[in-house]
Amino acid sequence: MKAPLSWIREFVDVKASAEEIGALMGLRGLPLESLETHGDDVVMDFEVTANRPDCMSVIGIAREIATAYKLPLAAGGTKVPPLQPNGNVPITIEEPELCCRYVGAVADVTIGPSPKWMQDRLAMCGVRPISNIVDITNYVMLELGQPMHAFDLAKMRQGKIVVRRAKAGESMTTLDGKKRTLSGDMLVIADAECAEDIGGVMGGASSEISSATKRVAFEAAYFAPSQIRSTSKKLGLKTEASSRFERGADRTAPPRAMARALQLLEQIGAGSFTGDATDNYPTPYQPRTTHLDRARIRGLLGMDVPDESVTRILSSLDFDPEMTSTGWLVTAPPWRVDMHRQVDLIEEVGRHHGFEHLPTTFPGVEQAPPPSDPRIARDRRARTALLGIGFSEAISFAFIASKAAEPFLDGQEPVAIANPLSELFTTMRPSLLSGVIDAVSHNRRHGRPDVRLFEIGTRFSPDGETRGAGFAWTGLATPDHWSGARRAVDFYDVKGVVDQLAAEYQVTPSFSETKKSYLVEGRTAAIVVNGKTIGVFGQLAPAIAAARDLPATDEIYAGEIDLDALSAAAPAETLRAAALPKYPSVVRDVSILVADTLSAETVRGTIRSAAPETLIQIREFDRYQGKGIPDGKVSVSFRLTFQSPDRTLTDDEVQAAMQRIMDALTDNLQAVQR
Amino acid sequence: MPQLGYRHPLSLIRDEVIEIFTRLGYQVLEGPEIEDDYHNFEALNMPADHPARDMHDTLYLEKPIKSAGRPLTLLRTHTSAMQIRHMENNPPPVRLVAIGPVYRRDNLDLTHTPMFHQVEGLVVGKGITLADLKGTVSAMARELFGSAEVRFRPSFFPYTEPSAEVDIRCFKCAGAGCALCKKSGWIEILGSGMVHPAVFEAVGYNPDEVTGFAFGMGVERVAQLKWGVGDIRLFYENDLRFLEQFGI
Repeated sequence: MKAPLSWIREFVDVKASAEEIGALMGLRGLPLESLETHGDDVVMDFEVTANRPDCMSVIGIAREIATAYKLPLAAGGTKVPPLQPNGNVPITIEEPELCCRYVGAVADVTIGPSPKWMQDRLAMCGVRPISNIVDITNYVMLELGQPMHAFDLAKMRQGKIVVRRAKAGESMTTLDGKKRTLSGDMLVIADAECAEDIGGVMGGASSEISSATKRVAFEAAYFAPSQIRSTSKKLGLKTEASSRFERGADRTAPPRAMARALQLLEQIGAGSFTGDATDNYPTPYQPRTTHLDRARIRGLLGMDVPDESVTRILSSLDFDPEMTSTGWLVTAPPWRVDMHRQVDLIEEVGRHHGFEHLPTTFPGVEQAPPPSDPRIARDRRARTALLGIGFSEAISFAFIASKAAEPFLDGQEPVAIANPLSELFTTMRPSLLSGVIDAVSHNRRHGRPDVRLFEIGTRFSPDGETRGAGFAWTGLATPDHWSGARRAVDFYDVKGVVDQLAAEYQVTPSFSETKKSYLVEGRTAAIVVNGKTIGVFGQLAPAIAAARDLPATDEIYAGEIDLDALSAAAPAETLRAAALPKYPSVVRDVSILVADTLSAETVRGTIRSAAPETLIQIREFDRYQGKGIPDGKVSVSFRLTFQSPDRTLTDDEVQAAMQRIMDALTDNLQAVQR
Repeated sequence: MPQLGYRHPLSLIRDEVIEIFTRLGYQVLEGPEIEDDYHNFEALNMPADHPARDMHDTLYLEKPIKSAGRPLTLLRTHTSAMQIRHMENNPPPVRLVAIGPVYRRDNLDLTHTPMFHQVEGLVVGKGITLADLKGTVSAMARELFGSAEVRFRPSFFPYTEPSAEVDIRCFKCAGAGCALCKKSGWIEILGSGMVHPAVFEAVGYNPDEVTGFAFGMGVERVAQLKWGVGDIRLFYENDLRFLEQFGI
């Protein structure tokens, strides 16, 4: 709300500068947004919170300043004799719930410009001067906070004013020149036939004040906030009037505003009141009284406010506090629509006494804190593991473009946003991979050849939310340094990432071949734990990479794992440390030729099932295809470690075990020993 | 030589905040990101036609997600929704922080992104006061910024009464006035207040028996202030040249 300091000073004799006033009011709940000099005046733009429509007026702001500076509030120019309605203006309110009061008054006018001082003030408040009559209505609104309107009475059929709902399909052209179709839930001010004004929002063009206007009907009314809000929203029309009414106006203000408007009319020589005025007021305002408990002030704020300060602050804000044995019985002024409960009064007392007087205390701990969300510690473990393998952490928006989401939907419906900000943010991500791939792409396009990124976050589906970890790796697998061989990342590197991530939760996953549209066929593995697929990894399909602007030559390996499922698979029992083995281990290598379509997993399984319990480790240490190996075959070498916790193994029994393993490999997998 | 990855700056702040409040005896909660209107607005004293809803431009789902209770229709605009869920299921006292991503229909610019991270604290019990809130945010500010002097400015939030914006003494110029604090000597860091009795009533607490305070702060804003990040969008580009500035 913009207010010139000169106007404010008509109501409160404050000597402080605009800057000083701004600084203090910031600590009293009415912060200054900006200051602007206009000649020898200063326009103060205050930020008015949604609960304080009364401060959308010069007098409202002046009242706050007067209270903050412990000064009296003067009536200024608003000290005018009260309106004496004779009831001669025919006003019908058909919807008393939506319009609780309508004051109309008729005046004979000579249309022309308003005086310079009035035009200047309106302009300083950001309102365009139009004509003397329209300017009067705006001036009163800015001064008192009561929106007003003026109709060209000659254009009002039969001179009638009817407050009714719009008829279905009824339309009218508003003052901004737009033709608007109204609906039955909107409130209009009509003449005997047609809607002439969207009540409390904007007037109509057909009864607009023109240079030919001779007689006007001024309106000062009260409209229900929810009604104004819904109409304004529906029409996409926010005006100075609607923004005041929708927050809640003062039901007792219309006659005061009318009297002020009629006085200004005579003062600036724009016309004269005919004496005809009606105050149609079907539901009179009932003052609200709340008890303010002295002990409760301290109980809520944690600071003492002296009784005389409580009384002074409330009285200065035009509340009526009446002392009782335990506190005050307080009647709120009618414009304080934000006063509902005792806490509202405590806030008034607290903010004007000054939060700067608050002591610094600390709440005592009454009980041991209950546990935090287990996902916090759990995700931290995944994060630590991935950071340790050289992946940096990414955070991306949880909404993505629908096209980017598509490959990851897996037949599920997307979780779409009804009112997205843009095409880029239409769908809640079904997978973390789209964000991670975009981040890889961003870095590749900014000159980074080797990128390792991961993100831990929420994935969305019609079944709800799950937490996962997604990661992608492109470029070198080894450090880029002269001391070692350079090698690009491959399938087994990302498998290693999954192994280590799972090991963080003491889970050993198995892997099975699978197909995903976003991964290269044959280089895709499902991560299986306890027979359930909890993730996938492999080489990113070139089509997906191309769609995310990645260079065509890049090989990107990526994977995603469900952290909820992974941590659920973690063994529940507490870890027990094992004693170190007392007896030596025996190592045997075996090299075999098998069909190259066999997975390492199958070979491993066969070995495991044929071996005694003393086989404690199987490691695949060599794999060879090419010269000397028949087509369709592959040579694989395994290193098997045998050990017993209670004795030294004999050569014979290890040899027997090796024979059983070899027999199983031969019988089941047609393996040939090399 | 093996190489470690780099932490995301938002994740560093998040963990720092979690650590501070864990040490102060708080439990830390996350909660769902897709919410219903009741927990995000109504129970927080923002009925359907409340003007304060304008402060939260909300993103809605095309099709609600089914849930056991009310259908989930929107992306939470603040983590306060989680506080309601917690109070519904747990009697006082309460001492928690809720942390996580929140969503608003804000266009991207230097200081706004449609998704950002929030941390909100809630303390409920017998005799909790606004002065306790001051002590708490002052302790937090000292840990996060090394500046313990705080200033409360009265403000308005529908779910707190009284409400206050909290400024800390500028940690860069110690109040002398610099570019960071726009020459005011103070930096706004959070919104806060005493829990509105209507919120207590909505979760079945008796506002005559308990009082409480709540505060909320943006994780991005803390990171921006602390490290002088001018453009909030940098947090979501995941450019390694940016990420690698924040240590491991």
